[in-house]
Amino acid sequence: MLSTIAIESLKRRKTTAILTLLSITISISLLLCVDIIRTQVKTSFTRTVSGVDLIVGAPSGQLNLLLSSVFNIGTPTKGIEFKSIAALQSNKQVSWLIPLSLGDTHRGFRVVGTTNSFFDHFKYGDMQSLEMAAGSAFTQPLSTVVGADIAKSLGYKVGDKIIISHGLGSVSFNNHDDHPFTISGIVKKTGTPVDKAVYVTLQGLEEAHTGSKHSPTSILGRKPADKAKEHEHEHEHEHDEHTKERAAYNSEAFTPESVSVVMLGLKHRVTALQLQYQINQSKKEPLMAILPGMALAELWQIMGNVESLLLGLSGLIVICALIGLATMLLATMRERYQEIAVLRTIGAGPFTLLLLIQIEAMLLTIVSAALSLGLVAGLMSALKPWLSSTYGLFLSSPLFGQSSIIIILLILGCTYLVSLFPAVAAYRRCLHAGLNAN
Amino acid sequence: MNTINKNNSTHSQHNAVSGDHSAAIKERNTAIEVSNLQFWYTKESPPIIDIKAWQVSQGEHVFLSGPSGSGKSTLLNLLCGTLTPTQGDIALLAQPFSALSNRQRDKFRARNIGVVFQQFNLIPYLSVAQNINAAVYFASTNVSKTASDAKLRHLLDKLQLSSHVLHAKADALSIGQQQRVAIARALINDPQLLIVDEPTSALDTDARDSFMSLLKDVAGESTMIFVSHDKAMESYFDRHCSMSELSPSKNHIKTRGDEAPKAQERA
Repeated sequence: MLSTIAIESLKRRKTTAILTLLSITISISLLLCVDIIRTQVKTSFTRTVSGVDLIVGAPSGQLNLLLSSVFNIGTPTKGIEFKSIAALQSNKQVSWLIPLSLGDTHRGFRVVGTTNSFFDHFKYGDMQSLEMAAGSAFTQPLSTVVGADIAKSLGYKVGDKIIISHGLGSVSFNNHDDHPFTISGIVKKTGTPVDKAVYVTLQGLEEAHTGSKHSPTSILGRKPADKAKEHEHEHEHEHDEHTKERAAYNSEAFTPESVSVVMLGLKHRVTALQLQYQINQSKKEPLMAILPGMALAELWQIMGNVESLLLGLSGLIVICALIGLATMLLATMRERYQEIAVLRTIGAGPFTLLLLIQIEAMLLTIVSAALSLGLVAGLMSALKPWLSSTYGLFLSSPLFGQSSIIIILLILGCTYLVSLFPAVAAYRRCLHAGLNAN
Repeated sequence: MNTINKNNSTHSQHNAVSGDHSAAIKERNTAIEVSNLQFWYTKESPPIIDIKAWQVSQGEHVFLSGPSGSGKSTLLNLLCGTLTPTQGDIALLAQPFSALSNRQRDKFRARNIGVVFQQFNLIPYLSVAQNINAAVYFASTNVSKTASDAKLRHLLDKLQLSSHVLHAKADALSIGQQQRVAIARALINDPQLLIVDEPTSALDTDARDSFMSLLKDVAGESTMIFVSHDKAMESYFDRHCSMSELSPSKNHIKTRGDEAPKAQERA
């Protein structure tokens, strides 16, 4: 009965009730959006790299090393010499090693020199391996594999030739025109910085920088391939051919003078801390090893302040809307004195009337929360393609997680608290409400 | 202290009925018993209500009159339990009403007291059925919904209200319909005490007589306190109590009664 009275009472004041409802709905939606973006960005962020146990580079800083190696932001201050790489490779604890050489770009996108071990061992998300949307990994020294975003935005396909530029500017006057790389593969979309990177062989990168010509036979152990002939294959045979070619090309055989960063996979993860200590204490060459998980957590902590600020601001907006709700209920109290007196006289106690006002407030908030959930779900669904293409933000299911539930519960709690003001006013009025209610 | 005026007005048929009724109720138990009742809003002012002793028998229909500000509404609020006596005791239906807790008083009021207001005071945004069922809800009786619905339809029949009005909003009804719905709401829980506060003040003579006949008919054996400043109404009742005789010490206060709740709120 009380809920019926509350609903009918709100319907009676539908204009103010609808405006209040809108105000709360918008503010809750805003808060939920911020929370979803925050959660999804965090998920997206933490899934950038997985399965890599240690990242080794020149001593600079944990974040600097992480940003340059995983996020392709900035460059390490110094490279790692080959002898150190060889030492790491021969370490019994090391299962695999991915060398990364940074510093070049292609039309504003970062160029990363590496070997096929990158495509074999690098994992993201929940230990997902990189997959090729087309073609394969490096098939020859001047092969390149491009990320999904690059292929899409620049319209590249397997077989196209690209030129890389020295340095990190989006416009460079130092192009390695004489060393065009041929796209051998396009990586499937990952939602990580891999999508926006151009991967070339370490050998090709060094040749581009030194200007020397590679000797395919010495590296590949096979006769020079007729590239024109290679791309005459029918589409259905393309993958098989690339796989065969890739099998024939051993990109790991090349020994660079130095690389920027090395990613390590260990046989036993528990030895990561021990090896990190060994590397950091090495006297042969000053090196720094970081645990990607810890570095990511530290980086997120810095970014977390911004999202906390956004969340806090959104929370304040919700509080304002709820105060608006309390104001609306308080403002209607005067016109409800007669109604309160009548209810009191037919047997409603002060606490019943307090409850009635709180039910009205709760009803408005519950309906607002339900509308907000629908609105945000619809909005996110509509914006999903745009968010992934523009910001590389992949919305994963479920959209509303534990934090959304906590937010809704907190809002209901706040509603209970702010509605105490008009409810107590009704209660106090109720104590004095008599028959002469007019 | 008690003033019982035998009806000697032009309503001779009512006089005859009232006379028989009065004789019968003398044998009955007391429905309302007030002793040393005092009530004031602020200590500085003299009491609004000062009644040494007053009794109303079960089934008795009492006409309570007095000029504006004489404390009629305050006395009704005290009898309803929406105000608490400053001093003295009120016993209703052999219960120490003024000694009950607020919660107990609210429950007692919901179950045993029916109230018809001056302006009928239906909740405008509720339908007729919702208005009446609210009284059932707050009484928290163990009456089944079927029995309650049957009672409602019976009352509507007696009050000559079509069942079509059940779903109409209260503010869509005519004054006459609102009167009847207010009576139905007051009687839905079979109250033993019926308090009626100046319901005829805005009615012309014909409408007033019609209303009174209906009220007397449906009130049945309930004890009724009917308040009005129109002494011409006394012929409908078993006895007439004047506020000036019930509560003589507050005669000099002429306006506090109507202002009382506001004054208390300020206090």
